[in-house]
Amino acid sequence: MRRTRNILIACAATLALGGLAHAQSGGSSPPEGLAEGQGAGFAKGHYAALDSLPDWGGVWFLNRGGPSTQPKLKGDYQSNWDAWKADVAANNGVEKRNRSNCSPPGMPRIMQLAQYPYEFIFSPGRVTINQEAWMQTRTIWTDGRTHPPLEELDPTYMGHSIGHWEGDTLVVDTIGILDMLPFSNGALHSDKFHVTERIHLNPDNPDVLVNEMVMEDPEALAEPFKATATYRRDRYGVLYEFQCSENNRNPISPDGETVFE
Amino acid sequence: MKAIIKSLLALAVLAPLPLAPAAAHHSYAMFDMSKTVELKATVTRFKWQNPHAFIEIDVPVKGQTERWAIEMTSPNNLQQSGWKRTSLKPGDKITLYIHPLRNGSKGGSYVGVRLPDGSTLGEVK
Repeated sequence: MRRTRNILIACAATLALGGLAHAQSGGSSPPEGLAEGQGAGFAKGHYAALDSLPDWGGVWFLNRGGPSTQPKLKGDYQSNWDAWKADVAANNGVEKRNRSNCSPPGMPRIMQLAQYPYEFIFSPGRVTINQEAWMQTRTIWTDGRTHPPLEELDPTYMGHSIGHWEGDTLVVDTIGILDMLPFSNGALHSDKFHVTERIHLNPDNPDVLVNEMVMEDPEALAEPFKATATYRRDRYGVLYEFQCSENNRNPISPDGETVFE
Repeated sequence: MKAIIKSLLALAVLAPLPLAPAAAHHSYAMFDMSKTVELKATVTRFKWQNPHAFIEIDVPVKGQTERWAIEMTSPNNLQQSGWKRTSLKPGDKITLYIHPLRNGSKGGSYVGVRLPDGSTLGEVK
């Protein structure tokens, strides 16, 4: 009995410290904003706290519909978009592509896909969004780390996402998204592109998840661009495998045309 | 091209159905979403796999057979409306409703199907 109590005391002390004394074992340093021994890599002892988070269980399918608005672009970004639009119109409405349909759209369009559901996994210090589409994984760090300076960040499809909970709303801040990826209907952004998401259940219907996105870019956008995605829950649904190269009926020709086989 | 136009004429062109898939693995602009075509066909292959399920069919046209490829939405999405991997098998005689490719090739986007037992999935006439 006494031994049990001693173990409990030891555990409590461990929690307060954020972890036991940790020698650096791998090659990576603590991320920006965190000290040695802190962060999502030290999850043990923090799982019970997850039960206070909202109920986002099951998988989520995007609801279709809703009017899509056009971002207000600046300068070259506007003229490039005008040229893109003319090109699409001249091509029977079909957009030419400079990369395979087997490469994912990246943020933020990866959060707006109609055919492939999502799931949200909570674990200490992070929220992981598994996406059926291209079997993509998105990590939102909720362990208090900050963004690295932009110049130190490798631009990626998903960018670098940090988040925190405001009540039952997950607030996510993302930078470092590759500037070759259109963010809305052919519109491109600069490397200063910044996405904020507020993700929460619909108070009137807990089987609907809402993602209110605001996109800002001092070089490409004349004003913040807002887009809202809603998702419906399938409590027993699962994500299916997605191995695009195994069933790629839509290769891209040298002219950028999507081929249908 | 001539043969394609002929075969399209041989098919009943139906009124548009209200189905407009949004952002997906690729744009739907290659399909004429304002047209729905009915195909009486025999299944040669049914592929239940991301990014899109596919139905390959033989369509008899004036004593000859044309091979058509019909793209569907994702298996997971289809499952939500009652589809299964075993819903179709080679040899099944079905009636398919599709939005045809704009370029006249023998392909289209799935709208609905009448199965051999008379039951239907999706939107049919």
